[in-house]
Amino acid sequence: MSAISTDALGKRYGSTWALRDCTLEIPAGSVTALVGPNGAGKTTLLKLAVGLTRPSFGAVEVLGLAPREDERELMPKVGFVAQDHPLHMGFTVAETLKLGQRLNPSWNDDIARTRIEHLRLPLDRKVGKLSGGQQAQVALTLALAKQPEVLLLDEPVASLDPLARREFLNSVLEAVAEHAMTVVLSSHIVTDLERVCDHLVILSESRAQLVGSIDEIVASHRLLTGPLADASDVARVHDVIRASHTKRQTSLLVRANGHVYDAKWELHEVDLEDIVLAYLGYGVAEYELEEVVR
Amino acid sequence: MIWLGWRQQRTETMIAAALLVLVALILVPSGIEMAHQYTRDGLSHCLGFTPSQACDEAVGSLEQRFNKFIDLIGWFNLVPGLFGVALAAPFALELERGTHRLAWTQSITRRRWVVTKLGLAVSSTVLAAAVLIGILIWWRAPLVRLDGRMDTGAFDSQGTVILGYSLFALGLALAVGAVWRRAIPAVMVAFVGYFVARIFTDTWLRQRLVTPHKLTWAAGRDDPRALWHAWKISETIVSINSHSGLPPMAECIRKGATNVKQCLAVNGGHLQAVFEPASNFWPLQLVETAMFGGVAIALIAFAGWWTLHRE
Amino acid sequence: MIRFHLERSGVPTYLQLVQQVHQAVRLGVLKPGDQLPTVKEVVGTLTINPNTVLRAYKQLDIEGIVEGKRGVGTFVASDARPTPPDDDRKALRSALDRWLARARAAGLTDDEIATLFDDTIRPPAISRVA
Repeated sequence: MSAISTDALGKRYGSTWALRDCTLEIPAGSVTALVGPNGAGKTTLLKLAVGLTRPSFGAVEVLGLAPREDERELMPKVGFVAQDHPLHMGFTVAETLKLGQRLNPSWNDDIARTRIEHLRLPLDRKVGKLSGGQQAQVALTLALAKQPEVLLLDEPVASLDPLARREFLNSVLEAVAEHAMTVVLSSHIVTDLERVCDHLVILSESRAQLVGSIDEIVASHRLLTGPLADASDVARVHDVIRASHTKRQTSLLVRANGHVYDAKWELHEVDLEDIVLAYLGYGVAEYELEEVVR
Repeated sequence: MIWLGWRQQRTETMIAAALLVLVALILVPSGIEMAHQYTRDGLSHCLGFTPSQACDEAVGSLEQRFNKFIDLIGWFNLVPGLFGVALAAPFALELERGTHRLAWTQSITRRRWVVTKLGLAVSSTVLAAAVLIGILIWWRAPLVRLDGRMDTGAFDSQGTVILGYSLFALGLALAVGAVWRRAIPAVMVAFVGYFVARIFTDTWLRQRLVTPHKLTWAAGRDDPRALWHAWKISETIVSINSHSGLPPMAECIRKGATNVKQCLAVNGGHLQAVFEPASNFWPLQLVETAMFGGVAIALIAFAGWWTLHRE
Repeated sequence: MIRFHLERSGVPTYLQLVQQVHQAVRLGVLKPGDQLPTVKEVVGTLTINPNTVLRAYKQLDIEGIVEGKRGVGTFVASDARPTPPDDDRKALRSALDRWLARARAAGLTDDEIATLFDDTIRPPAISRVA
């Protein structure tokens, strides 16, 4: 069962496509990373999923429901933390929780209070006086206390310092450990993807470039190195994602469709981070094989 | 949701309440004084069309004593505009800061959010306007009995038009705020718009809303009864059956006449007045209220529709 | 109670957790009946995907090293006896081969290699992170 599925989904602002021809499925229960540079369409995809904007083309379904038309049925099941996590700066933390309680029939006040206590946030402090990390945590509490089935996070840690970032991710993952939910986490930071997420969507230039489980992606991508050669032979069978040549050597990052039989190529596994960077258009780090046990 | 709406316009509600308290503080003491003087001097006997000289003196004394408050009422014309734009500010601020998206990703529908917010703004405005109207009608009661309520200064404060004005200011601020999404400029633009609309109505539009009456009478005679407590839009001297070539007033000046009325009468001078009689008070009030109110409703509906459909 | 840690070694995370449990049982840090950290606790310490922890615990369950008691937790099985899986052995062996080649290329004699090895192994290099 898909938590989110899109069908040729597109969004246009004027003559610019923010997202184009996007067809993907995000499995229920997964922790999916939505990765791509700024402007790639990550925010647009999430906003379409949560009904904050309407598709120009195609369709999106969350838990089998349409975000706009089935708004009343769907919204209690979806938690969303926007990029700038807008909160009412003049409200106290307690009033912000009250907002959540009044606007969400599925609100569980115990979850909310326990989280705030655990984070040691003073209930009577105005939100505007909290640090960025604390505000992000309050926004996350609002999303989690309604006990959603799907949690969408739009670059929630982009503006946070590393410690706050860690704590935020921790909170999210602990929540997933406690109540199974699907998480989609968008970020333009590619480190730590593998430990936090099990699925990946790479968006670049408003299109979905790669979608799949991280295990499968790492297993199917290889770095081929060999003497200077043309990539076209390889490209006939496999998807060449990135080719780079020096005077004497050629490196190809490929998504293998089956075995690579040509003996002139040496095969290496590739880090998830390097795979992602290759899809985003950056060079793959050249390897120097180490002989020490790692 | 209702709690949220009230909580969010907490500051603005207090501003509106403070304005009302200010108005009350200014008007209540003087209103009590004025009513007291009215009864003390027995001015209820001066309400006839042909008052005596004693009445003239007593009424003049009352008016002179409370003159500065009457002038202040002019400033109070800004208050409905202030109510309207202040109570529109929370909505505009939400849109500016993007916190409406926070509400939209909770579990209520977007439509319900918009309707509740706008509904609260409208009902607060109506309430504030109603209280203001109450205070103003109470305060001016003695003067209205003596001088009527058709004069521009009185008309603006004695009936439902204030409701129309407040809602108009509210609607304008909401509409500008919905499109522009910057609260402070929206409030300022709306207030200026309110000001311009009020001036325009007072100086040009009002006399065209309900067809005024016209009467001509000979200069020597008393003013016709119909003019009692009426709003004189214009009063001119016209010549009927004149013997000389000059206009009547010019002739009298040339002659150096000491009794102007008699001189004018002799020279065929007639007075002509274009006016709204006192009986047109409620028709005028209702038409003007409907006009401002109708525009207000359209603006508010637009603000809601635009907010829902823009994203 | 075992405390997990992660290394950037190219070994999949879940496998690292499995290996650490194996090691702990082998060394007696974890005894039969001891409770493993809850998924939530591991996630809280390491900031990793809960599914990864579940996968590791599931593998350990299949291997018979642990047993999960629903609603209570995951406990070391009474008859736990981990053996290094074949893959581990092979990888270790080939890494050792490479290391030996490198040591010899650096000019060490077999004796020097043996001494180096003994010195390294003797204060037992157990990362006992309590």
